[in-house]
Amino acid sequence: MRFMMLMIPKGYEKAAPGVMPDAKAVAAMMKYNESLQKAGVLLALDGLHPPSMGARVSFAGGKPRVTDGPFIEAKEVVGGYWMIQVKSKEEAVEWASRCPASENEVIELRQVQEMSEFPPEVQQAAAQLLELRAQSEKRMGS
Amino acid sequence: MRVMVLMKADKDSEAGVLPDEKFLAEMTKYNEELVQAGVMLAGEGLHPSSKGARVRLSHGKSTVIDGPFTETKDLIAGYWLWQVKSMQEAIEWVRRCPNPQGVMEGEIEIRQVFEMEEFGPELTPALREQEERQRAKAEQLRQAAKR
Repeated sequence: MRFMMLMIPKGYEKAAPGVMPDAKAVAAMMKYNESLQKAGVLLALDGLHPPSMGARVSFAGGKPRVTDGPFIEAKEVVGGYWMIQVKSKEEAVEWASRCPASENEVIELRQVQEMSEFPPEVQQAAAQLLELRAQSEKRMGS
Repeated sequence: MRVMVLMKADKDSEAGVLPDEKFLAEMTKYNEELVQAGVMLAGEGLHPSSKGARVRLSHGKSTVIDGPFTETKDLIAGYWLWQVKSMQEAIEWVRRCPNPQGVMEGEIEIRQVFEMEEFGPELTPALREQEERQRAKAEQLRQAAKR
C-alpha cells in the first residue's frame, strides 16, 4: 500500500516569498531520504515553496474565484511530501517517526486510493485514467 | 516549473463518499486534456483522514495521533503534479476543473515545487549527486510497483 507523508511545518503558512530551507536541515533530510530509498520504500518526494507564492481557487456557486497567497485563514499548510510504499499503516508511522523533523513540524500520513479498491462500475469508468497515467509516466520518465 | 495542485477535503471526501460516474467521466476528460497538453505528471486521491495518522516529533520522541482530524479545515483529499510555464497557466487550468454541484465544495491550492537549481551553492555537487540518485531509484521503484 502507498502512503503520502505530508510535512506540515507550523508557521510556514506565514513564510515570506522566496524563503529557502536551511542548509543543515536539508542535509539531515537527505540522509533520511537515503535511508528510505535504501529500504526500497521511497517512490517520490518534493518540497513546496511557501503559500505566499501560491494561489487558491474556490468554486462557491460553481464559479472559480482566485485568491493569491498567503492565505490568512490557513492554520496549517503543506511544506512538502514523500510518497512511500509500505506493508501497513504501522510501517508508515514507523518511518515518519524516524524523520529528522523539528518540533514545529507535524507529519500527516494518508493512504493513497488504489484503483483496485473502487467498486467494479467505478473501475470501469476510470479504466481510461490508467491509460492516461501510463502516458504521463512515460512523459515523466523521458 | 512544476506545481503541486492540492484538492481540499470536504464533508463527502472525509466521509469516504466515492465520486459518481458523471463526475468521474468529467474528471477523466479533464485529465485527458491535461495529458494531451503535456501538463500532467502525476495525480492521486487520498483516503479520508480517518484512515490516516499524524506524527509529531519532540525531543527525539514521537507522538502518534490517529485520524480523523476534524479540527482542521486544511485537510487535502488529493493532488496533481503539473508541469507548467507559469503560475498563471496553472491557475487557468484549475479554473477549468470540473465542479459538479455538491461534489467539490472545497478549494484547490496551487503551490510551486522546489527545483534543485534553486538551491545555489549550498547544495554541493556531492549532495546534488546523492539527490539525483535517490530520485532515479525512486522512479525505478515506482515503475516496478506498477508491474
